[in-house]
Amino acid sequence: MKILICIKQVPDMESKFKINAEGTWYDRADLAWRMNEYDEYAVEQAIRVKEQVKDADLTVLCIGPDQVTETIKKALAMGCDRGVHIADADSYKREPIEIAAMIAGFAQDKNFDIIFTGMQSQDRGSAQVGVMVAELLGIPAVTTIVDFLYDNGAIQVKRELEGGSKAVVTTATPVLLTCQLGLNTPRYPTLPNIMKAKKKELLTVEANTGGIGRMQETAACYFPEKKGGGLVLEGDVAELADKLIQILKEKTSVLA
Amino acid sequence: MEFTREIYWNVGHGFTTLGPMYGLLLVALIFFAVGFFKRIAVYRLGQPLNRTDQRGVRLKNVVETALLQTKVFRVPGAGTAHALFFWSFFVLFIGTVLIVIQADFTDLFFGVRFLKGTFYKLFSLTLDLAGLVGLFMLGGLLVRRYLVRPKGLITKGDDALMHFLLFAILITGFCIEGARMAVTELGTPLAGWSPVGFGIALLLSGFQEADLRTLHSTLWWIHLGLAMGFIAVIPYSKFRHIVTTSANAFLSDLGPTGKLTTINLEDEDTEKFGADTITDLSWKDIFDTDACTLCKRCQDRCPAFATDKPLSPMKLITQMGEIAFSDRTSNLLDTITRDAIWSCTTCRACQDICPASIEHVNKIVEMRRNLVLMEGEFPGEEVMTAMEQTEVNGNPLGMGYASRGDWAEDLGIKPLAEDPEVDVLYFVGCYASFDKRNIAVARSFITLCQAAGVKVGILGKEEKCCGEPMRKMGNEYLYQTLAMEMVEVIKGYGVETIVTTCPHCFNTLHKDYRDFDFDVTVIPHVVFLQQLIASGALPVKPLEFACTYHDSCYLGRHNDIYDAPRSVIRSAGGRITEMARHRDQSFCCSAGGGRIMAEEKLGTRMNIKRVQMAADTGTGRLLSNCPFCLTMFEDGIKGADVEEQLRPYDIAEVLAERI
Repeated sequence: MKILICIKQVPDMESKFKINAEGTWYDRADLAWRMNEYDEYAVEQAIRVKEQVKDADLTVLCIGPDQVTETIKKALAMGCDRGVHIADADSYKREPIEIAAMIAGFAQDKNFDIIFTGMQSQDRGSAQVGVMVAELLGIPAVTTIVDFLYDNGAIQVKRELEGGSKAVVTTATPVLLTCQLGLNTPRYPTLPNIMKAKKKELLTVEANTGGIGRMQETAACYFPEKKGGGLVLEGDVAELADKLIQILKEKTSVLA
Repeated sequence: MEFTREIYWNVGHGFTTLGPMYGLLLVALIFFAVGFFKRIAVYRLGQPLNRTDQRGVRLKNVVETALLQTKVFRVPGAGTAHALFFWSFFVLFIGTVLIVIQADFTDLFFGVRFLKGTFYKLFSLTLDLAGLVGLFMLGGLLVRRYLVRPKGLITKGDDALMHFLLFAILITGFCIEGARMAVTELGTPLAGWSPVGFGIALLLSGFQEADLRTLHSTLWWIHLGLAMGFIAVIPYSKFRHIVTTSANAFLSDLGPTGKLTTINLEDEDTEKFGADTITDLSWKDIFDTDACTLCKRCQDRCPAFATDKPLSPMKLITQMGEIAFSDRTSNLLDTITRDAIWSCTTCRACQDICPASIEHVNKIVEMRRNLVLMEGEFPGEEVMTAMEQTEVNGNPLGMGYASRGDWAEDLGIKPLAEDPEVDVLYFVGCYASFDKRNIAVARSFITLCQAAGVKVGILGKEEKCCGEPMRKMGNEYLYQTLAMEMVEVIKGYGVETIVTTCPHCFNTLHKDYRDFDFDVTVIPHVVFLQQLIASGALPVKPLEFACTYHDSCYLGRHNDIYDAPRSVIRSAGGRITEMARHRDQSFCCSAGGGRIMAEEKLGTRMNIKRVQMAADTGTGRLLSNCPFCLTMFEDGIKGADVEEQLRPYDIAEVLAERI
């Protein structure tokens, strides 16, 4: 069985974000980088499939500047077999269709049985790349999976729907699955696997969108405007209630 | 008359006595040797470790710990009784050896007798009194073990055997003496020099001489048999500790206190890290299990045990011993249980008090290393998250690394990257950098340094966690990654002195980093402040206040710093009311051993118990020196519902209010 896992390196969300000079994305200075959270579920699920079927080959793919190899190494340390780095220093400027085109370009002649991706990235959050890859490859996609069962070629997943309900979907390979929080708990790499990961194949290939160009442009990127801050009422409970009613009457229409 | 006695009186000095006597001794020694050779074979299954260097120091440790019983003496009562019993038995042993030397060697071959005159009088009196003290102490210990039955004391068949043999040897010894004296010494001035024997002789004085002689020779052979039996059973019973505990004083860890072994991660041939079988541990770890006397002092002091967690340091050593000497293939982690392994706060209370020089903490860390490095297991998901946060942002709190120096922005303190010309580098630590409560401590410390005219620099966003909590949790790989980075950064600036406000940082930089060729002087803030006060550089306006003081584990037991913080508190005008558990007996706040990253889900809360002890002093203030302690106490006063009665502070905070 051949499995592809697409991952993205994203800034830690606790970082101090600043807007970059072009005003179209965040500045890369002073950021700490890590694997996109949803992609960690993808990597973990792929490794679990391999542990189940034994005979599986896991390729982990990441697009970006040279520093993303650190994140690929983390996936290799967790248990992926080989890494592919699509070198693209400007990947942050790419629109979802371009990213999807690069992945599909790499995957189209490799006959992957399953492609796992995160359901979205933590920084851009478009949630489009996975489904676009499936479309370009002409295979089915099931998004936001929170449960996965594999049995001899048949796959049964649970999708997370609105309002907490879930949908059970069965599918066959080849298929692309995008992974959501709750699917699994990603493992912590063991030291022997970290050591082994250093010797695993890590291939760097040129970025190639196969002629698919961007269809949209980021006009501007900015922090939300600071609106009036919250109001903290203090004092006696009875007074507080009066104050609150006063405010609700004056500033809102809920009591009108 | 000459003051002496006939050795071998009544039993004779011919081959019929000496033959069987030395024959029995030979048999006893064979049993003794075979027993220990078998055990040595088991010790040797452990991993290599050099514990025979610095022999002078090691011998001194044996004299102090074994002969002078200094560690045994630390616990009055049972400890006192043991020490007195040991000395009395030791004196009796020396006395017996002197008799053998005179009777079977110097007198036999050269006609030289030294057991006479004044020396004999003293010899006789000393041995008589030693026997008496021995009997009383043994009696006391018997009452303690079988009648008082202190909580947690484990009594087995071994203990009955030991009490029986020792009592029988002492009592038969006195009866032999009494029977002999009844025949030979009653009415002579010599009798007074053996007061106990004299008393027994008086009791026996109504018997015929022939009966006394029969009684004497019978008891003499019984006494000999018991003594030889004693020697023979040493390796097969808890008497073993006479040899192993004494030897362990020689083999003990010579420090630095609590420093763990640094795994060589460069060695690519290593396929296994940490310990999940007994033979993954060192031979000394296996030997430790044989040195344990089940005195339960460790268990009595273990904060995890005291708060109903499934860890007893004593039980852990016993379990390891059982595995070592029975089924060596059993899995350590399953036997000892993960819950017990994760419960340890590495507070060192067990190891510090252990009279047998047993090293508990490193064994626990070795098992944690196996769980983390080989299995990727942690005590909870929150710990794994903290590890990942540390990998990404260099702190277990998950705060953005770039804001690490933000707390100092308005204080005129610059990162070394901007101004490397400083008197001291303040290694701030994660909590004082990011945690609001502990930032107040960092700011107080800066206020004090500035008042003393000390120019302080920080690393700012270049600083990362020292790696201590991760290392103690078993994540040696992450620790070494952080340590190597910190060593490189700090050495790059060529600083000469580092001051810490976190004892965990202090201990790590001061001891653990030495393995990475790091030799910068590191000083904990309380010691630094004491020096500034003593030199007059920091003028303090004392203002009287009452408080109690909590000795953090890593300044206290791990580094023996007890007086400096108390001195600083007194300089500030503090009157300290000590808690019962203070100095080396201090009770952990719960956050050591990497437990600061873990939720305390088992048993009761350690920090609440400690805060209660502090509240009971009625002083209103709980002073400490550690950000982990302060964090746990702030939480503890809420849990214990003593927020109105007790406020926790760092020493630097109260001092900063007094300049």
